[in-house]
Amino acid sequence: MSEIIGNEEAKRKLREWVETWSKKAPKKKKALFIYGPPGTGKTVSVEALTNDLNMELVQSNASDYRTAEAVERFAGRASQYGTLFGKKRLILFDEIDGISGTEDRGGLHTITEIIKRTTSPIVLTANNAYDQRFTTLREHCELLEFKKPSRTEIEKHLKKICRLEGIEAEDSALRLIAERASGDVRSAVNDLQALAQGKKRLTYNDVSFLASRDRKEAIFNVLRDIFYARDSLTTKRAIEMADVDPEMLLEWVYENIPYHIKNPQELSSAMDMIALADIYRNRIRTTQNWSLMRYFLDFMTAGVAASWSKKAPGWVPFKFPTRISQMSTSKVDRAMLTAIGMKIKKRCHISSTRAIKEVLPYIRIMFQNNKEMKKGISEWLDLDEEMVDYIIGGGTS
Amino acid sequence: MFRLGYEMWTEKYRPRSLDDIVNQGEIVSRLKSFVKAKNVPHCIFAGPPGTGKTTAALCLAHDLYGEGYREYVMELNASDERGINVVRETVKTFARTRSIGEVSFKILILDEADNMTSDAQQALRRTMERYTETARFILIANYSGKIIEPIQSRCAPFRFTYLDREDVTKRIRYICEMEGIQILDEGVEAVLEIGGGDLRRTINILQTAASVGKPIDAETVYSVVGRANPYDVRDMMLTALNGDFVEARKKLREMILKYGLAGSDIIGQIHSEIYRLNVPDRWKVKLADIVGEIDYRLIQGSNEEIQLSALLAKLVEAGYDIKRGA
Repeated sequence: MSEIIGNEEAKRKLREWVETWSKKAPKKKKALFIYGPPGTGKTVSVEALTNDLNMELVQSNASDYRTAEAVERFAGRASQYGTLFGKKRLILFDEIDGISGTEDRGGLHTITEIIKRTTSPIVLTANNAYDQRFTTLREHCELLEFKKPSRTEIEKHLKKICRLEGIEAEDSALRLIAERASGDVRSAVNDLQALAQGKKRLTYNDVSFLASRDRKEAIFNVLRDIFYARDSLTTKRAIEMADVDPEMLLEWVYENIPYHIKNPQELSSAMDMIALADIYRNRIRTTQNWSLMRYFLDFMTAGVAASWSKKAPGWVPFKFPTRISQMSTSKVDRAMLTAIGMKIKKRCHISSTRAIKEVLPYIRIMFQNNKEMKKGISEWLDLDEEMVDYIIGGGTS
Repeated sequence: MFRLGYEMWTEKYRPRSLDDIVNQGEIVSRLKSFVKAKNVPHCIFAGPPGTGKTTAALCLAHDLYGEGYREYVMELNASDERGINVVRETVKTFARTRSIGEVSFKILILDEADNMTSDAQQALRRTMERYTETARFILIANYSGKIIEPIQSRCAPFRFTYLDREDVTKRIRYICEMEGIQILDEGVEAVLEIGGGDLRRTINILQTAASVGKPIDAETVYSVVGRANPYDVRDMMLTALNGDFVEARKKLREMILKYGLAGSDIIGQIHSEIYRLNVPDRWKVKLADIVGEIDYRLIQGSNEEIQLSALLAKLVEAGYDIKRGA
């Protein structure tokens, strides 16, 4: 039990309840209903506990709830008869959310009956104990909530796993996995396993795609709703639901319009919408009036969606907005360019960024053509030999 | 003496005093009146690149403080010094110390002010207010629309426009004379074309062409400058007219990102090209109208590529219409 993270209080209560369970205690409830979000350790706590206490665990499957007969078959005897080796027994009805509608109602009723006459402790788990179906059932149960562990708790847990598995992991990598898991320990551990498998070292880079994968997927869904939704209301709703950065979305939509909208008039309309969205983006920026956001969003989503007839030209993948990716210059290049830019800046009353883009290309040609100019200007700019070589060598900006 | 390029000509031939500035007449006379009054308000110098904004600011400072003006002037660029804290700290230190002499304040030239984030601009506004006794700000921008309103309302606006063709031509010839360079008329034309209205770029092109070492003709100019020639804009427009939006947009993107052309440059060239296009008059008018609208939007601060792409889409639509015989 100690290996399960978080919910210390709940785990303690669980243990206490099981240990003090007695078939003869009249006032106490015979069943414990554990509830909480998935991956918070409900099932595994029970399993671990029975292990710690050396108890026999009778665990159900989802199919065991189908009908009254099934339940009876599974648990009926178990709740009545003693165990083979004299061990104490615990019956676990796991994930009873799975019980559906009318067919299984027999099952729920039977569970309730079993609880009434059981001679062994019974534990149930579900995501939501306050579901309407469980109203009667609840009356016979003690309730226990398992909460989502915090990101920090998950992170600690992952660290421990890494230590045990002999994996050296960057803190930032584990943090990202923990963050993405949103309280679901199981998923965090699965992610860790998938990513760290066979590795000795886990860096942030290894996991960074997790961050973008999520966002990419969220964006893809919104894009689909913009380009292919049945009506503009759906489109509007889509962006409200999605956790997507509006500016990023604008870039994606803008980039992808011509690949999906082929009819020239529709293309023109859609581009007009994006242009309007851009105007609002700028207005928000300068006036800091965030109520204008709704127009920005509307034009970029519903506006674009409404512009065309959605005759899909087959399946077309969404393209990444390359416009926003920086030109890939290596670190060395960048450092050199910045240094040269600063030299030009000193003399030419221009920012180093502009110097590189607007002045350096000409300097390069001058240097290549004319020795005298090269000498004179390098001196004037105070460029060292390395810089001059770099410029002539054509390290492109 | 025949000495080529010991300096960049953009600096060598930069006017030193307001009297030396040939263009921007109204602006120059206003600035001269500031000098006379020994008082300068906060200012915004806005306009396309290479139209003399930085020069005007430096000349103003020179005329105001005399030869030692550099002590009283600080130049900052938004793109090099990003972020709120840099602005605050640098400006604070500079503005805090009083200037000795007749003029009680110092001048801070903040270039690319329209590149500053709104947060940084807010911080700037407060700094401007606090230190207005000891420091006057001259903000330089391409698009004044990108500067937040609270700052705009505190500054005297100055609109710089593209220089007259004749004035630029005179300048080109003057520099060539001083440098002992031979240039043919067609060379001058070519330099003018590629330079657009950007004087800095024009002079850089001139110096680059001169580096070849022979009399400057059109071919020399085009060869040194490579693919940065005006026919790209026409080419882009034709590509759009033919229906290939994606390709046209790619060219547009290249112009902006790779060649550093400003939106205002491109719009200007598009505007002149429209009338040479092989489209019915009805469409010419429509397109000209749209160009005007988009130009205005750019001035207001909207995104260059996106707005110009919308224009390209209209060209695609025009081409389609025409093919259908509409």
